[in-house]
Order: sequence, then C-alpha cells, then structure tokens
Amino acid sequence: MITIPYLTAVSTYFSYGLLFAFGQLRDFFRRFIDWWLTTNLHGYAPICLGHEDFYIRRLYHRIQDCFERPISSAPDAWFDVVERYSNDNNKTFKRTTKTSRCLNLGSYNYLGFGSFDEYCTPRVIESLKKFSASTCSSRVDAGTTSVHAELEECVTRFVGKPAAVVFGMGYATNSAIIPVLIGKGGLIISDSLNHSSIVNGARGSGATIRVFQHNTPSHLERVLREQIAEGQPRTHRPWKKIIVVVEGIYSMEGEICHLPEVVAICKKYKAYVYLDEAHSIGAIGKTGKGICELLGVDTADVDVMMGTFTKSFGSCGGYIAGSKELVQYLKHQCPAHLYATSIPTPSAQQIISAIKVILGEDGSNRGAQKLARIRENSNFFRAELQKMGFEVLGDNDSPVMPIMLYNPAKIPAFSRECLRQKVAVVVVGFPATPLLLARARICISASHSREDLIRALKVISKVGDLSGIKYFPAEPKKIEQTKNDIKLD
Amino acid sequence: MYVRALPTTDVNRNTEWFTYPGVWTTYILILFFSWLLVLSVFHCSPGIAWTIVHLAHFTVTYHSFHWKKGTPFGDDQGVYNRLTWWEQIDNGKQLTRNRKFLTVVPVVLYLIASHTTDYQHPMLFLNTLAVFVMVVAKFPHMHKVRIFGINGDQ
Repeated sequence: MITIPYLTAVSTYFSYGLLFAFGQLRDFFRRFIDWWLTTNLHGYAPICLGHEDFYIRRLYHRIQDCFERPISSAPDAWFDVVERYSNDNNKTFKRTTKTSRCLNLGSYNYLGFGSFDEYCTPRVIESLKKFSASTCSSRVDAGTTSVHAELEECVTRFVGKPAAVVFGMGYATNSAIIPVLIGKGGLIISDSLNHSSIVNGARGSGATIRVFQHNTPSHLERVLREQIAEGQPRTHRPWKKIIVVVEGIYSMEGEICHLPEVVAICKKYKAYVYLDEAHSIGAIGKTGKGICELLGVDTADVDVMMGTFTKSFGSCGGYIAGSKELVQYLKHQCPAHLYATSIPTPSAQQIISAIKVILGEDGSNRGAQKLARIRENSNFFRAELQKMGFEVLGDNDSPVMPIMLYNPAKIPAFSRECLRQKVAVVVVGFPATPLLLARARICISASHSREDLIRALKVISKVGDLSGIKYFPAEPKKIEQTKNDIKLD
Repeated sequence: MYVRALPTTDVNRNTEWFTYPGVWTTYILILFFSWLLVLSVFHCSPGIAWTIVHLAHFTVTYHSFHWKKGTPFGDDQGVYNRLTWWEQIDNGKQLTRNRKFLTVVPVVLYLIASHTTDYQHPMLFLNTLAVFVMVVAKFPHMHKVRIFGINGDQ
C-alpha cells in the first residue's frame, strides 16, 4: 500500500504535464524544420508509427545518463563505474578511460556470488578449461553435457520437485514456456504487476488474459468466479485450462506474494498455479529454498515453479520445475529447449557450486552464514531508512527495497547526486512503474558489510534531504511509526 | 495530508495514470491557473479570459483525447494503435466516474465562459460550438465511430 502526500501527487501530475507540453512543442517545431530539409527517403514508411517513440525521445533521453551506465569490474559490493560525458545534451555518450569505485546498491547479487568465490570460481575455471565457453549447440543436438544433467538433478533437489529443465536465459524461459503450456481457448490470470517476460509469453500464447489486482487474493477469487461462469469470450464454452501466474517477490515493490491464499483459491476452482521465483529463490526462506519454504506452502501444491539463476546464484539462465510428465512434455515441445543454445557449461557449473554452498554440501556453513547475513542486512537497512523518514516499500526479509521518489525531476537528481558521492543506485520511472510512482530500487547483498550499509545510509540521507524525498516524519527513537500531517518544505 | 494509492488492474500504461488520486484536482487547478495567466498576459476582461481558456481547453483536449491514436511508447506492441485516448481509458468501459467527470468539465467551463461574457455574440457562438463538439465526441454511442472516415485508419 503506497501512501502519497496529496501535494506531491498534484505536483507530480503537473510536472509530467509540463514535460509533455514541452515535448509536444519541440516536436511541433521539429516537424516544421524537417519540412525544409530534403530527404531521399520518399515513399518509405516511417520506422515508428504515430508517436510511439515520443516518450523515449522527449522524456527518457533527457535523463539518459542515469540509465545503462557501463561498469568495468565484477558486480561485487564495490565496483567500478565507467565515467561518460555527452557533447550533445544526453543524446549520445562517449566513454572515458576513467572509472570511479562506487558502492553497488543496484546489482541482484543477493548472496554475494557475483564476484570471486573461493568454492565456486576454481570449479568454474576448471570446467571452462575442460568444456570451453559454449556448448555450440542446442540441448537436443549436442548441447547436453554431464554438467547439464547434474545441474537439473541439483535443481530438483534444491527446489523440491520431481523434475526440472534448465534454459540459457531467464526471460526466454517465461516467454517460451507459457505458449507451450496454454493456447487459444485457455485463460491466463496474471497479477497486474507481473514482469514483462510473463506478459510477453502470455500475449504470445494466444490465450485470453485477465488481470487481478496486485497481491489481492479476494480479487483473484472474484475474477476466477466471473470468468468460469462466463466461459470463453464469444462461444461461452468452458475454458480448456486456467493458469494463475504470480511471482515470489515482485521486483519493483519488494513485496512477497500471498501464496497460501492463492494456492487455496486455485485448488478450490481447479486452476493451475505458475510461480515465478526469479527474485525469491535462494534469497528468502530459512535455507534459501524460496517463498514456499518461507510461507510454509507444500511444493506439490504449486504446479509449475519457474526461477532464474541470475539473482542469487550469480550465473545466467532459468529453470522450470514440475512433475516428471510436465518436464518430459516441455523437453519435447518447448522451442527454447529444442532450438536455443543450451546454457554455457561454466555457468552451469557456477550454479551447481552455488547450490552446494547454499545447502552446505561443500563442507562449510558459508551458505547458512550468507543467508543469515542477507536477512540481517535487509532488515537493518529497511528499518534505518524508515526511521529516517523515507517511504520504503516491501515486506520484511525482502532484499529488494524501493524508495519512493514520485516527482520526475527527483529521479535524475537522486541518481546523479548519489553517483557523485560514490553510491550507485538504480532509479526506475514511467513506464516500468506507474506514472506517479517513480522510485529508486535498492538491492541488498550478503557481501555488503555493516560499514558499507552505514555509509550508504549516510549518503542516502544527505541526498534525500537535498532532493526532498523524506515524505514521512523522521523518528528520533524506536517507536511505532505514526503517520501525522507534515509540513512539506 | 496523505492519500492511499491502490494498484489498479489497468494494464494500459497510457491511461492508468488517470486512476490514481490527485488527477481531478490537478486538472481543475491547471484550468484555474491558466485563467489567471491569460488575465495577466492579455489584460482583458474576465469573460474574455474564460472564453480564451475554454477554447484553448477545447483545442488541447480534442487533439489529445479524440484525435491522437495509440500510446506514446512502443512497449505494448501496438494493440491500442486504432484507439484514441478517450476510447482507451477504463478499458473501453462507458459511463465510469472518470468519463463522467471529463464530460462535465467542458460543460461547466462553457457555463462560466458564457455567464461572464453576458452571453454576447461572437463569444457565445464559438463557445457553444466548442462545447457541442466536445460533448458529442464523448457520447457512449460514439465509441470507435469515425464520421465520414475522418481520422480513420489507412
């Protein structure tokens, strides 16, 4: 639940209106000037229809230096950000050879596997020497090595399902699997804030898509009842299949899904559950097994469990875990398995080693230490930010914490000032988030030490004061936070 | 004073911003402040200023609500390319609170403009024409209707 000061909402709308008006004015004059210029492209259709590139050209390009910053080291707790400069007002950038060492608050490096690890990296280098960097083939031709087989077996043990299949890219896992699972005549009910890979897969499947209010199981039940009663769009025949798609941790909100209620509703109405654990696998739960362990849901109740290895395991790729029949069907039908190149063997070895560390099978308790550290770090950081008066979203234990900025001018202000103070944050605005709700998203890692976090808090507090984003009153002591009227200065 | 922002089920990023709190107030405040701006720039009578605001409002909103089609970003793969903004809001459902509010605003502006100009001649004609076009364009029966193919697809 996001609480906005009313004045901030009004001023945000006004700012966007002003930006939009200026963009339209510039476009109007640009069309005039372009009329006089000659072009040899007469008769060609324009690349962009209508004004679908308006947002990119007139709003995103103004603050483009806050996004896509190149880095030149491993994404550890501290990393090197390459400095760039622009001669034409942020339209193009030139990289310099200088780098600045910044604190990394943007990488999805939840368990700290993003840089040299004493157990994983030697094994990865060995497998690189033995198997080389790529398998140069798809899984069904010549791309399945013993490491791939071991990886799938490791994933089934970790996730708690009978079988699993692994793909080379996390986005492609969602967008290639959903069309295989459901087609025309089926119904997909997805959370309103699902990731674009799920939206892509759902649109590509040809099934009817309905959306339920974010993380509200009662609305899900209402939508299910309405859709089951109505049936398919014009013929009103019963649906061939209903799949409900939810995520473990929503990456833009840091909220944890209400999985037990969703599973109970789906059992009652006989719909399948598809759980996308991209951010939650390896990061939450007592032994890192994800949201099912955290909330006490039996993994047999979730029909399809999807996850990615990019976040907690420091590698690339995604997996689907389910029953043996499901995985066998996918291995025969899914184009990402039949035609796409298989996951590179060193990356697969990294995942296997990371899973072994998390489960404690490498003989040490580093896995348990990492999990305890990320939980401690996240709770400490979130509590301190809330005490300072920032509006921070997300549930306890979630390592993703967005700080609300709202106003479009505060997005580049926060990002640039933090970079100047050697803290690298990721800011997100429209259209990845709703128009009003621009935010800076902080991802905490197990490799952040207490000093790093305290330094980050100092910098964020200073920058927050400068850009005026402390929307709640700061607490002097540890008391229950009460939301009073505040005078915004 | 704080308001709660409930997440909406509208997947169209072009129109979901209209469902959050504060939009109606911002709209009315922009109209009021533009009236003050016109008064201070042109040194005219209040009635003429309201007429100018009403006609400018008509031009801007007709162009952005009923003429421009599609969305200003390419992420949605062009599913809304044949629909104007008015046809996109609230997912095409007619007679919702937002639509009723947006229909009432030009009528109220018309009443204010004609009252403050004492229903005198050239202003009354222009104002009436503007409000007539605005209100007819917002009728539920005009959903996806293109008269004489104006603004239709190629």
